[in-house]
Amino acid sequence: MATNVGASANAAAEESGLAASLGRQAIGLARGAREIYGVFVRTLYYVFSRRIDRVALVRQMYEIGNRSLFLLTIVMGFIGTILVLQAGLQTQRVLPDLSLLGASYLELLVRDLAASIAALMLATRVGAGIAAEIGSMVVTEQVDALRMCAADPVDYLVKPRFLASIVMTTALTIWSGGVAIVTGMITAEAVFSVNPRTFWNLSLVHASDVAVGLTKCVAYGAAIPIVSAASGLSTFGGSEGVGSATTRAVVNSSLAVIMLNLLISSAALMVFR
Amino acid sequence: MTKPSTVATTPRFAPLSAAQKSLFELASTVGQMGILAGQIVRRLARADFDGLELKRNMYKMGVKSLPIVVVTALFTGAIMVVQATPIVRRIGAHQLLGWGAGFGTLREIGPLLTALMISGRVGANNAAELGTMTVTEQIDALRALAIDPIAFLVVPRFVAIVATLFVSTLYADALALFGAAYSGQFLLGVEPMTFYNGLTSGLLGIGDVMNGLMKSLVFGIAIGLSSCHFGLGVSGGAPGVGRAVNATVVASAAGIFVVDYFVTFLLG
Amino acid sequence: MISIARLCKSFGQPALRDVSLTVPAGCLYGLIGPGASGKSVLLKMITALMRPDSGSVDVDGQDVLAMTELELATYRAKFGMLFQNNALFDAMTVADNIAFPLRRMARFDEREIDERVQERLGAVSLSGFGDRTPSGLSGGQKKRVGVARATITHAPIIFYDEPAAGLDPVTSQKIFDLLRAEQQRSKTTVIMVSSDIERLLTVTDRVGMMYRGALIFDGTTADALASNDAYVKQFVHGLTEGPL
Repeated sequence: MATNVGASANAAAEESGLAASLGRQAIGLARGAREIYGVFVRTLYYVFSRRIDRVALVRQMYEIGNRSLFLLTIVMGFIGTILVLQAGLQTQRVLPDLSLLGASYLELLVRDLAASIAALMLATRVGAGIAAEIGSMVVTEQVDALRMCAADPVDYLVKPRFLASIVMTTALTIWSGGVAIVTGMITAEAVFSVNPRTFWNLSLVHASDVAVGLTKCVAYGAAIPIVSAASGLSTFGGSEGVGSATTRAVVNSSLAVIMLNLLISSAALMVFR
Repeated sequence: MTKPSTVATTPRFAPLSAAQKSLFELASTVGQMGILAGQIVRRLARADFDGLELKRNMYKMGVKSLPIVVVTALFTGAIMVVQATPIVRRIGAHQLLGWGAGFGTLREIGPLLTALMISGRVGANNAAELGTMTVTEQIDALRALAIDPIAFLVVPRFVAIVATLFVSTLYADALALFGAAYSGQFLLGVEPMTFYNGLTSGLLGIGDVMNGLMKSLVFGIAIGLSSCHFGLGVSGGAPGVGRAVNATVVASAAGIFVVDYFVTFLLG
Repeated sequence: MISIARLCKSFGQPALRDVSLTVPAGCLYGLIGPGASGKSVLLKMITALMRPDSGSVDVDGQDVLAMTELELATYRAKFGMLFQNNALFDAMTVADNIAFPLRRMARFDEREIDERVQERLGAVSLSGFGDRTPSGLSGGQKKRVGVARATITHAPIIFYDEPAAGLDPVTSQKIFDLLRAEQQRSKTTVIMVSSDIERLLTVTDRVGMMYRGALIFDGTTADALASNDAYVKQFVHGLTEGPL
């Protein structure tokens, strides 16, 4: 009887409206934020206080970097084409002259899009991978076994992913930017007959844009593994638990990328006006 | 479908054979999704699917995704304005801010980011759920009871995903423009009214909105297909479910961008 | 000596209800009870892998709940642990799995590590399996690798969570006899959780029974066999009639 009552109360809680759902999400978000903060602080502590396992670091760099290369190349190739196409079509409605198309495109790419789109892709691929791997280790008690052997999972699992991700996100962003520039250039030439020489116009790319772009690389690269590892480490239950931890990792790290983007972009706007 | 343990295969690096293998894998995956799509269409045409399951999934996927769509859209709008600010300042054309943020949001960024978030939240969740049902032999149990798992499980989820993304994109478009208008006021001192005038001054039309919504439909199909496909293909317990979710989000994300390209070209 | 007082823990529903228990040093303690009665949770409380909602855990005079995460790392070196699901690291070979605690916790040279790993592999009759990966082993073999890993550091306290699950009766009895012989030789404190009660009770000094998160019996093995408590009697003798 008691379980029956519990079940129907649960169902009632499930069904009750949007406000309750928003409230629950807010509580979940606050709890998640605390967890993420904890993992972040401990990772930083271990980065500076413990030896870094080079073998693990290289393996993670391969996992995060090389294995994302194919996905990023495809996505950025298409993105470059789409962006130039859309921007060109829209600009034609207002201005007859497309000579600054390339310059504006390069500026936007360096300051924001190369890093942000690459990071959104990495949030899905790398974030899901980290959470699935750590989550499976949690449900099969491997994380507990690590802790029994004086190996803090944050030191042993999160730290190499954190460092590898910062390095590889930066490298992949630069590669992604290159791919997007090439496909954008080809599209501009093919569709709008903009000469590649005209397109390759760096006059609008300032040092501050490069600085902002690189800051974003590092911030995204640091945030994705931390957010995903936090959700992997809080996995609970069997295979369902791993599934929902992976989902949470993708959503939270994508949100983290979007929020960091707004934060850094508006900070840059205030500083470099 | 299961990938061998990654650690065992990592050290060797043979780009050509690896590229060949991933190309074959890609072709086989796309083919299997095509077959799944055929099966879904056949049952949809005969209206042979579970209505109750559809309603439950619509609620679970649609209503429960609202908060994340709201947050993403508001942030997206703000980011659009922040990015447009240097250009607007350079030209000094405040009345163009609405147009600039508007066409970017409606045609590309709104549908794209909403699709990425829904793929992460709904597509991944769906793959995890179907995957768990597969590893715990619930799908086999359905078959043993002579219940068609495609009609009972897959079609309702597929339809719910497509519907969720379509409606979410509508919401997201509106909210992103709202976010853009107010961050424009905050950052550039552009009155929201000026922003709305820029939106409605004739440079943007219903065509731009429809273009974005068309895209969201196609993205929904890509997400639904890949999440159902990878969910049903799970093997190997909890780690298998993790791998399937991973594969789903990666395939959806890549699919979304590739499809976006073709739709952009077709619709102009 | 391990002493636990008034331990409570709840995951939505209560998992431990007011558990108090003392395990003297050098004792082989058998923990029995039906599934989901809180046995594994209790072991994780003592090793501080989980935190209780209330109560106290005291091991050799140290208050475990007051320790920081860094102190706990040293504290946990006291323990060897075999997990219910073995918890072998998928990414490592069998030999690396067994050597892992040694490499993390003490300074040994590789030759000495290798000797001890080979000795352990022989003890659980898996000589020659060192280069395999855990995914290629049967359930029983994984269990034995787990036993080897739990015992390699010669820890003064060892927990075995289902050491014989998935083993045939002969191997199972061999494992129990081996663990008992090693326990007697090195005077370790051992807590063993097992559903194979018949064989478990051939090696234990004391027995505790858990039911729905509460410890309902604690006494010597002879007491357990002679108990008239309806739950204990039914469970120990495997009767179909009774309150369970």
